[in-house]
Amino acid sequence: MFTTVAKSLNGLPPFLLLQAFALTFSSCSEEKEISSYEISPEYDGPVVAWKLPENWGENPDLSGPMAGSFHIKTELGPSGRIGVMPFREAVSTREVVNMFGRELGYENFDQNSLELILQTKTIGNKSFEWIPLTDQTDPAESRMVLLALLRKEQETWLFPFIADSPLITQEMNNFKKFLKSVVVRAGKVPIRARNPAALPSPPPAQSANGPTWEAPTHWIQGKPSSMRIGSFYVRDENGNELDFSITSFPGDVGGVLANVNRWLSQVGLDKVDESGLASYLSTVEIDGKSAQLLIAENDDKSLYAALLFRDDRSWFFKIMGESSLAKIEKKNFLGFLDTVCFHDH
Amino acid sequence: MPDNKQPRNNRKKSSVGSRRKLLPWLIPFASVRLTLSLLSLSMILIFVATLEQVRIGIRGAQAEFFESFYGIWYYPDQFWGSEFLSSLPIPIPGGYLLGGLLILNLIAAFIVRFQWSSKKIGIQLIHLGIILLLIGQMITQAKQVESRMMINKGETSNYIERFHGVELAFTNVTDASQNQVVAIPQELLEKGGTFNHKDLPFDVRVRKFDRNCEVTIKQPDQSRQGLSKEVNRGVGFTSNLFLKEKEEDYSMDGLNFSFVVFDLINENESMGTWLALTHPAGNHVWESVSPQLADFAFQPLRYQGNLWGMTLRHEREYLPFSITLRSIANEFYQGTEIPFNFESRVTLNLDEKQKRDALVYMNTPLRHGGKTFYQYQMNKAADYSVFQVIRNPSWLLPYLACILVSIGLLWQFSFHLFSFLRKHKSTPRLA
Repeated sequence: MFTTVAKSLNGLPPFLLLQAFALTFSSCSEEKEISSYEISPEYDGPVVAWKLPENWGENPDLSGPMAGSFHIKTELGPSGRIGVMPFREAVSTREVVNMFGRELGYENFDQNSLELILQTKTIGNKSFEWIPLTDQTDPAESRMVLLALLRKEQETWLFPFIADSPLITQEMNNFKKFLKSVVVRAGKVPIRARNPAALPSPPPAQSANGPTWEAPTHWIQGKPSSMRIGSFYVRDENGNELDFSITSFPGDVGGVLANVNRWLSQVGLDKVDESGLASYLSTVEIDGKSAQLLIAENDDKSLYAALLFRDDRSWFFKIMGESSLAKIEKKNFLGFLDTVCFHDH
Repeated sequence: MPDNKQPRNNRKKSSVGSRRKLLPWLIPFASVRLTLSLLSLSMILIFVATLEQVRIGIRGAQAEFFESFYGIWYYPDQFWGSEFLSSLPIPIPGGYLLGGLLILNLIAAFIVRFQWSSKKIGIQLIHLGIILLLIGQMITQAKQVESRMMINKGETSNYIERFHGVELAFTNVTDASQNQVVAIPQELLEKGGTFNHKDLPFDVRVRKFDRNCEVTIKQPDQSRQGLSKEVNRGVGFTSNLFLKEKEEDYSMDGLNFSFVVFDLINENESMGTWLALTHPAGNHVWESVSPQLADFAFQPLRYQGNLWGMTLRHEREYLPFSITLRSIANEFYQGTEIPFNFESRVTLNLDEKQKRDALVYMNTPLRHGGKTFYQYQMNKAADYSVFQVIRNPSWLLPYLACILVSIGLLWQFSFHLFSFLRKHKSTPRLA
């Protein structure tokens, strides 16, 4: 047998043998390729997945309690804000509603008042608690918060939709489709947001290039929120109070006339038409740009507001409250407007 | 007939002769000089590799000099005459070349030099054993895979992770009953380019992969530079991480943080650029390093109604069985912190019904499914145990080789001993 093998090797040049040897060992290392396989689930975190409507975009600044954060793509840029917030404990509906309600000027809800606004909606195979909230500080304002709460055993998932009312109406079908597509599953590991937390941070356009200002020293700083970029209040010794806010929204938010009429109604004054605007409006300069100044004074309540439209956004600087105190603070309000700076020039 | 009755010795010689005639080119390879030269070169190789180990570590020296056909050595700066010699690249024959030639040399000697007779069968067995040992070593180097399995007390694990080598893994965790994993191995990440797979709904374009880096968390107002600046999604972005490339550390205690910067592509459009970073002790450690970095173990991506987790982790192999860590114990020499014994009591879960208890301790591994589980590390305080897992398809060869060499030696010595005794017996004793 050996002779046969040896004969077959006879005449084989030695370098060929060496080459064969080298090839044998070099081919021993496996050629690597992308592998794909199935495993039993080992991820024990919460699972939250969704399908976004085409005209929605994800906000990159996802932080804090948010598992997801989106905006609606409009001609004027990103608008509105939709969130996905997990709550570890079975948080009560009242607790969540009050958290948002306070921001919108609601008194704290009790069980009875909550039941008046609480609805139940079945979307797909999921049942949601459905709570629409409108801006109470400014009833004529179109700002709105729509809360959808999904209860799952010990887990509650909140989907807040914060936007102007027309936008919410326009996107209602998409919001429902989004809720239908949502997959949520509680995990073993703790979810970061265990308790009701602050509302999602404002869109980057507001926070990144936000203005600065100098407020009078006796103005007391309030808490900024998703609605308010700046917030102050003023009190006198008689308990009279003024509320000052700085807000910003994409677009013109209905235009000057709509906003002026909304504010006039807040202090009990009659609405006006285009020709009547001049009796309330004058021009003021804010950081080198022309803005509209509204002086709306009534017997009990007065409101001063500046409307500035810049970079496709509306900026409102508004102080409102008891008339006598408002008149005293009018000068401070105008002085405040002089200090506003957008740091872009 | 009488012609056929050649003397026995002559017949053997002619057998070697006929083999030489048949394979004349094998004769130079059977040379004893070649054997001695190769052994001398092996000593030089070991000497050089030992010196280089200080500079490039054990893994580096092993890869450069032993797992190659040749290595390049630079004369050490500390040696005499280094001012002239240190810049000179000196080629050193590598382990594969010397080992291969030694095997060839032994086989050639076996064929064209050794007499195949019962008298010499011991020597033949010894050489056969050595050939087998060398072949076994080569197969081991090419095929052996070293991994680790870490288990917390009371928990069960069904996968092992390679000590070296990472993979970019995408896991679809949406389904509560079964998860899909798609993993891109390090070899492909190193090549770069765009990757796609039928089970991955998006493409992955690798911008940069490297085996080590240094990472710092920048303050929110500090800007990132270079490669880090390209990252606009995931932990690398939200934690404002700054990445600095670094040479791979080959030393025993070296900690290498492999990283990959990649884009996910949907219909030729980038969905963003992510950074994935692996922790040398496993990505579960990130959470204790900084809660901000915990997501490196699972960077979420929601895509088309599914939740995918992305991570750059040590290459993982799932096993068809699992191991549960029941208890651990460690003993130290009295009054010292020198370990005397580490042991882990485990249960091997083959399926729902078949379970087997085992005790794994120093030098007493658990063998199952072609893998050997050695006790490697243990942390009694943290209640976990780590096994070194070796898969070596040629693990039996060294044992067979040793048996052959032993039989050969025994045969050869016995043969000589009995010859001597016979001779001694037949010689008349002097009074």
